[in-house]
Amino acid sequence: MSSGVDPFTLEVIRHALSATAEEMSLVVMRAARSPLLREAGDLSSAITDARGELVAQGRDIPMHMGVMSFTVKEFLKRVPADRLEPGDVWFLNLPEIGGNHLPDVKAVRPVFADGVLRAFAVSLAHWADIGGAVPGSYVPSATDAWQEGLRLPPVRLFSRAGAERETLDMVLANVRGSAEREGDILAQMAATRAAEQRLEALCARHGAAEVALAMSRLHDHAEAQMRAALGTLPPGVYQGEDWLDDDAAGGEPVPIRVRIDLEEDRARFDFSESGDAVRGPLNTTPFIAAASVFYAVKALVGADIQANGGCYRPLQVITRPGSVLDPGPERPVVGGNHETSQRVADAIFRALEPAVPERLSAGGPTTSGLLLFAGQRDDGAWTTLYETHGGGEGARCDRDGAPVVRVHMSNVMNTPAEVIEAEYPVRVESQRLRRGSGGAGLHRGGDGLHREYRVLAERISLTSMFERAVVPPYGLQGGAPGAPFQVTVIPAEGDAYRLPGKANVALGRGDRVVVESCGGGGYGAPTEPGPER
Amino acid sequence: MLPPATASGAAPKASRAAAPRPLTGGYPRASSGQPGPMSSGWQVGVDIGGTFTDVVAFQPSSGEVVEAKVRSHPDDPVAGLLAALDAVGIAWEQIEDLMHGSTLVTNAIVEDRLARVALVATEGFADTLAIGRQNRRHLYRLDLEPKTPPQVPEQLRFEVSERLDVDGRVLKALEPESVERAVRDVAQAQVQAVAVALLHAYADGSHEAQIGARLRDAVPFVALSHRISPEAREYERTSTTALSAGVMPLAAGYLDRLEASRPRSSRLHLLHSAGAMASPEALREQPLGLAFSGPAAGVSAAGWVARELGIDNAISFDMGGTTTDVCLVVEGRAEIRSDRSLAGRPLRMPMVAVESIGAGGGSIARLDSGALRVGPESAGAVPGPACYGLGGEAPTVTDANMVLGYLDADRPVADLHLDADAAKRALAPMAAELGTDVAQLALGIVRVANAAMARALRRVTVERGIDGRACTLVAFGGAGPMHAVELARSFDIERVVVPRFSSAFSALGCVGAEMSYTQQRTVRMLNTDWQVDRLNALHGELCERLGGQLPEDDRHGAIVGEVAAIRYSGQSYAVEVSAPALEDPTQLGRQFRARHEQLYGFATDEPWELVSLRISLTAPRRARPDMARARDDGNAALAGRSTACWFDASGPRQTPLHARAALADGDRLEGPAIIEDAWSTVVLPPGAVLRVDACGHLHIDVGEAP
Repeated sequence: MSSGVDPFTLEVIRHALSATAEEMSLVVMRAARSPLLREAGDLSSAITDARGELVAQGRDIPMHMGVMSFTVKEFLKRVPADRLEPGDVWFLNLPEIGGNHLPDVKAVRPVFADGVLRAFAVSLAHWADIGGAVPGSYVPSATDAWQEGLRLPPVRLFSRAGAERETLDMVLANVRGSAEREGDILAQMAATRAAEQRLEALCARHGAAEVALAMSRLHDHAEAQMRAALGTLPPGVYQGEDWLDDDAAGGEPVPIRVRIDLEEDRARFDFSESGDAVRGPLNTTPFIAAASVFYAVKALVGADIQANGGCYRPLQVITRPGSVLDPGPERPVVGGNHETSQRVADAIFRALEPAVPERLSAGGPTTSGLLLFAGQRDDGAWTTLYETHGGGEGARCDRDGAPVVRVHMSNVMNTPAEVIEAEYPVRVESQRLRRGSGGAGLHRGGDGLHREYRVLAERISLTSMFERAVVPPYGLQGGAPGAPFQVTVIPAEGDAYRLPGKANVALGRGDRVVVESCGGGGYGAPTEPGPER
Repeated sequence: MLPPATASGAAPKASRAAAPRPLTGGYPRASSGQPGPMSSGWQVGVDIGGTFTDVVAFQPSSGEVVEAKVRSHPDDPVAGLLAALDAVGIAWEQIEDLMHGSTLVTNAIVEDRLARVALVATEGFADTLAIGRQNRRHLYRLDLEPKTPPQVPEQLRFEVSERLDVDGRVLKALEPESVERAVRDVAQAQVQAVAVALLHAYADGSHEAQIGARLRDAVPFVALSHRISPEAREYERTSTTALSAGVMPLAAGYLDRLEASRPRSSRLHLLHSAGAMASPEALREQPLGLAFSGPAAGVSAAGWVARELGIDNAISFDMGGTTTDVCLVVEGRAEIRSDRSLAGRPLRMPMVAVESIGAGGGSIARLDSGALRVGPESAGAVPGPACYGLGGEAPTVTDANMVLGYLDADRPVADLHLDADAAKRALAPMAAELGTDVAQLALGIVRVANAAMARALRRVTVERGIDGRACTLVAFGGAGPMHAVELARSFDIERVVVPRFSSAFSALGCVGAEMSYTQQRTVRMLNTDWQVDRLNALHGELCERLGGQLPEDDRHGAIVGEVAAIRYSGQSYAVEVSAPALEDPTQLGRQFRARHEQLYGFATDEPWELVSLRISLTAPRRARPDMARARDDGNAALAGRSTACWFDASGPRQTPLHARAALADGDRLEGPAIIEDAWSTVVLPPGAVLRVDACGHLHIDVGEAP
């Protein structure tokens, strides 16, 4: 057998590391106070080695995992390893430090064995509020970073001696719902503590050096797998682009452009030609751009490769400072996390259309299709329905697209009509397929959703954040684009109007909102004029 | 004798606060209920699995217990059942109660052998099945269909004009013309079954009932959502109802044949997914109750043994050929969940909270860039592991166990003869690639398989906030007792119990199960607006419906149990409270906060809401096998024999073989040892110590490898 870790011990340690990360996620879901974490599970967990390279993850949320592969490395640039002590838990959310947007707060705990730093446990959780201009910290009208909420560089909230009470209070004073937030902080802390215990036990069982060696071998394996997988793509230079509908402030479409230099065992993704940073919150970070690259490559060639630091080694991602993907610390970013990230993946897939069309899906609902209904119920309670709307999947070379689904970087579920009507002053009048919205082609794009809401309160604030209303999902190989996303407001009195993708309007009792989510793009030119669907 | 169990998990508690007005629907609540009438004929449990059918038979008057294992007849389950009875030498006429677990419905769903079904829905909502919850199954596999295609295709989905609100109030009356149109369309569609699922029907089922009455003239099988799954969430309820309709014809056909074969003097029961028995009549309407029948039987038996042995926290560990089922059993009761899915379709019914992982004896080992992976690919029942000699060539976990000397080539399992050389041949190429020998590779394969299973143990315990290391592993199934000690060691579990009848344990679960029916209802009642009358009416209605499913002579003496799902207002994550004080919201609030504190480490005085109520009605078990009196039919033929077994890399050790039947109360064995019963093997590695109790359960202190 080869020297170093034997293949059995390696696999046993891999399972133990993955089980540890899984356990962290379960601990957060069980112990957190906010429903967003306990029910929606908007959280991720990771174990990294002592240098911050990702070795295991708890739940696979593509955006989170991509970002967390940078978080500890960037953290270590701000907080040198020699300042870390056993028992520390550091919290941070700054987008420019291995981050994405302010609500996703990361807790980082260094783990020691035999007095040596061996690993980090990282718990990422979406806080239901991080301060800023509006409850929920979701500000479509934000024009700078400070309007979006509390900005946390790495701060130590726990040490061996316990909570750093003054710092903790400083954080809690700047977010809404401090009791709930404190519960969430404790849950993230508890998750990293559980991981510390498991990792210490693992080092005691196998020896810390053996565990470190195993981590390094796991990276090498994933790297080798990824290089081999890249070899299945034809080498060459590929360019692609897709467009954001606007700058989130009423402006023109914004290009996301990529140049891919594909070699036999490595690839470079250069986004320098993308548009400049925008006024509204559609900017995002280089880490999100990288997360989207990792997603796209995994989906193209390596769905089964264990995501760790090693499999990212053959991939290089370049963004231009001052661009929408590298806007610097002052620009708002909250929506870029789920809209612009998707356009990055779209641009990559479109670039590769000449090379591997058979591996691609035509354009799909790469937008959250988000509507927020905020208002007061008849019993006086304030509620916010935060609803995403899936659309038709893009067609592929061998099948039609599926109707009403989430694609690529996101996979959030809808809220059932029977739950909406029980919780919010809104009725769902109908939900059906938006027939005929899928793009024509040899294979048709999937149909979008048609869902109609009726307002049952005197006053409701409706906020939108959706894309694909101006630039529709693209077809591939001659297939037609899908129908664009559109939302129509039909007031009880007065004329109907089209709701823009980033807007806020006041609605009254009896007003109706008709969502027609985008259809998927078609694949291949239709062989004959298809019947109208 | 054992206290009667409520294997359904709805545990009625003995000590209850004095209630101003108990809501019992006419049934008593008690925990140490009276034993039922003594019966004289045989009580027989039969578990029909994919590969083997197990049978355990018990004669209450003599205390005699016999067991057998035969090959299953997947094409003719009735013939398989008769073969199983034949194997224990009991004629059906001699049987008073036949209790039977079945994978019939499970397999029909997994293999998509469903009847052609039409759907009738509220106007505007017929596409709900196609929309689903809009999430996709595979994050990175773009090539695969992202969602399970809707069970009912577009041309079989029909709408009626009507609309209720969340409280079941009529916003729009049921329009008769639209009903007639739907009935006509369904009749023309040539379907075997129809599902009716209207919006908010869980709150009021009268529109569905009216439509159902009209449809019964047109279609043989009708499933109404408020009867099948009276809970909020339209996609899940519609899917459950459509799935139920899809298996109704199959289940009815099977039950018809069973009933036709059954002597009039013998009663027939089936084990449902929540771990208790149900009558054939009840399962005709609710065939989905059988969806997790197989795993539920083993868990039910594990709960029974855990109660008998006074084990507070147990993990049932059922390792079979293709999958391993683990389930947390707290205070002798398995957790019940209603949020499972099968073959990508949600199935909203109460079921034991079993976690299944794709690792079993048939799991195939492979090399993947220098790491050894085990599973999820499986050799299945056919061709099976190489050592079965049925044509399998890939190296499996069972082959590794064979190479390590744990399995006896001289002893057939049912009619299978094991081939040690075939196992070695299967492992040899991989061992050569790694530059090692087959024994070292076999040790590695078993270690890796155990690591994958340890992950599942972690999930089922951590999720419920229980320290797995303090649990006892209750190991059964074909391969469970072989892996249990090493698995326990890798998870820091100190104690393993291999129960009596461990290799026919699911059949034992059938023979020991109670007759119990469970149903859950969405309620939505705020603590600030408590309506005891409404609860009383609901409770009475549910008890009446459940009681109607019990045979008349069992209805007397049945015990009611409730579980309330409660949440803080505005959250959708509910906590389950057993034996809820429904008549006293102040007391119920205390129960809720205590449970919340226990599960999540905090509780507040915020307003809360009773989301749903689960009621179960349980008839006391007539008699259970008394294991201390059970007959032993084995012999001590193995006495003095030994075999070479590998436990670690240092080399084989000469290991004594023991016949399980020859072990007596108080016997103590130190590892290494191999204990064999007719169909399975207990591996006691060096460092472990085994003790036999009066009932024949094996208690193992796993110790440490020397």
